[in-house]
Amino acid sequence: MATTTDTGRERVRGFDRVWIFVFLGPFLLLYFGFTLWPLVATVYYSFFDWSGIGPIDNFVGMGNYGSILNDKLFWLAVVNTLIFAVLNTVIKLPLSLLMAIILTRKWLRGTKLFRTVFFAPLIIPVAMAGLIFTYLLNPSNGALNALLLDLHLVDKPVDVFAGRWSALTVIVLVSIWQIFGQYMIYWMAALQNVPEELYEAADIDGASEWQKATQITLPMIKPVAVVILLLALVNAMHVFGLVVTLTGGGPGTSTYVVSYFIYQEAFGSVPFAYGYASAAALLFSVIAFVLVTSQGIFVRRAQKLRKEYGV
Amino acid sequence: MRPSSRRALRNNAVAIPILLVISLIWIYPFLWTISAAFKTQGGLFTGGASLIPDQLNFDNFARAWVNAGFSQYFANTVLYSVVSTFIELVKSALCGYVLARFDFPGRVLLHRLIIATLFIPVASIIIPQFVLVQQLGLLNTRAGVILAMSGSAGALYVLMFTGFFASVPSDLFDAAKLDGAGFPRTFWLILPLAKPVIAVVVIFQFVSNWNEFNIPLVFTLGQPELQNLAVGMLSFKGEHAVDWTGFAAGMTISFAPMLIVFLLFQSYFVRGLAGATKG
Repeated sequence: MATTTDTGRERVRGFDRVWIFVFLGPFLLLYFGFTLWPLVATVYYSFFDWSGIGPIDNFVGMGNYGSILNDKLFWLAVVNTLIFAVLNTVIKLPLSLLMAIILTRKWLRGTKLFRTVFFAPLIIPVAMAGLIFTYLLNPSNGALNALLLDLHLVDKPVDVFAGRWSALTVIVLVSIWQIFGQYMIYWMAALQNVPEELYEAADIDGASEWQKATQITLPMIKPVAVVILLLALVNAMHVFGLVVTLTGGGPGTSTYVVSYFIYQEAFGSVPFAYGYASAAALLFSVIAFVLVTSQGIFVRRAQKLRKEYGV
Repeated sequence: MRPSSRRALRNNAVAIPILLVISLIWIYPFLWTISAAFKTQGGLFTGGASLIPDQLNFDNFARAWVNAGFSQYFANTVLYSVVSTFIELVKSALCGYVLARFDFPGRVLLHRLIIATLFIPVASIIIPQFVLVQQLGLLNTRAGVILAMSGSAGALYVLMFTGFFASVPSDLFDAAKLDGAGFPRTFWLILPLAKPVIAVVVIFQFVSNWNEFNIPLVFTLGQPELQNLAVGMLSFKGEHAVDWTGFAAGMTISFAPMLIVFLLFQSYFVRGLAGATKG
């Protein structure tokens, strides 16, 4: 019999050591090349003035960081990213939860159709979504303006891409439209972990749907909800494709987000500034990390709850 | 009629009309695109919000497929998505299995590293990834795109597999051993149990690879014919700005397969995810 440790994991012996290595190999190789090394390299590059061409030899120390702290465009991008992430999250999470609760009701007919409808936007590449909406929202003959004019809600066409706030709002809304189905499915998965007997008991007591939602569903999924919240915030901070396709950072530079800023600095305009972009990436990662880990307290509390409820 | 089923009928009578209206708004951009694929340029321009084509016009499809490079983008997208998803699945299943079942030096460290790097955004490390692929001589090649795509993801899936394999009763492993199964054979015997996790990884990663934008954009800057649909659309905006109906036709062709995949597999999405998040 194999010797097992108290955690149930087996100690490896003999030739099996080679197998361990073979099994870990593919992941380790890619993980090292595309996650660990790039992390270290980003830190390294950030101390150099490097355009990506020729050797990395122009050490500037904290110079890039000094410039970034004074770079108005970077801070605008940071602010825009945070506005986007927060708005996006506070709108999409409650709505997708509500829809998940509705679409998991046993009495409801046609759930397969409705689930597919809300999931559908997830399958179109982000650039396509961006282009469809630039057309639908365009001032000259887009669907939105045609509708608003027909209903006499406006006298002249509105150009939503002309102002910073309206353009940001459009990015937030289109992004919610697109990602909604994914969060709906996360919630549905969370809802599946709620024991059915609790609802049956509540039914016998004559509880309404609202009472069941607030007194059974919400408390039971709270631990998973914290994880979904984290995921939503972190994902929203990576917003890139929609900005490229909807506004291109415009009007002017007013809808720049951090990933677009990095892209522009590193690959978008000559001379490429790999070092500078790396410093920007690192600085923002630190900002994001601090914000996200400040949620860590909630996560720990949630995990405790999770154990108590046994889900 | 039982009171509970009468209540269900009443609930449906309220909920379904509301859901239908929301659904219609939700899929309007799709319907509009499909309708635009049949419109003429003039019909599109004067059509506004209308979903009814001025005439049924099929040349848009031919034009999108042949002239605008849609067939190329489509083939690239399928290739990138299938191969990357396969690599991601294999590497995370193998690694998760070992992490869950065996003690070896560095196991705890590796596990902690994976958790620590779970949420690293691609945008913040794409420059070194780019440099690495460039040094491997794979920039502007399909292999380079696939390598970067399948290298960037996976930490989350390793953890899902680890969680799953750790929950498999050790009796099963002992039984396999008694039957004389060696290391790889035991893995192969246990793997089918992980179907829910496999389903989640395949579906989510396939969708995410299908829509991947950042990596194909950066890694094909010098070779537009290697772009996937997500990035190809972008150049379409500049070069073929006038041909909106051709563009709509191209989109209609390209979202059809994914819609079918979802319709066929949608129950796995929810069930698989629920199974994987448990434990």
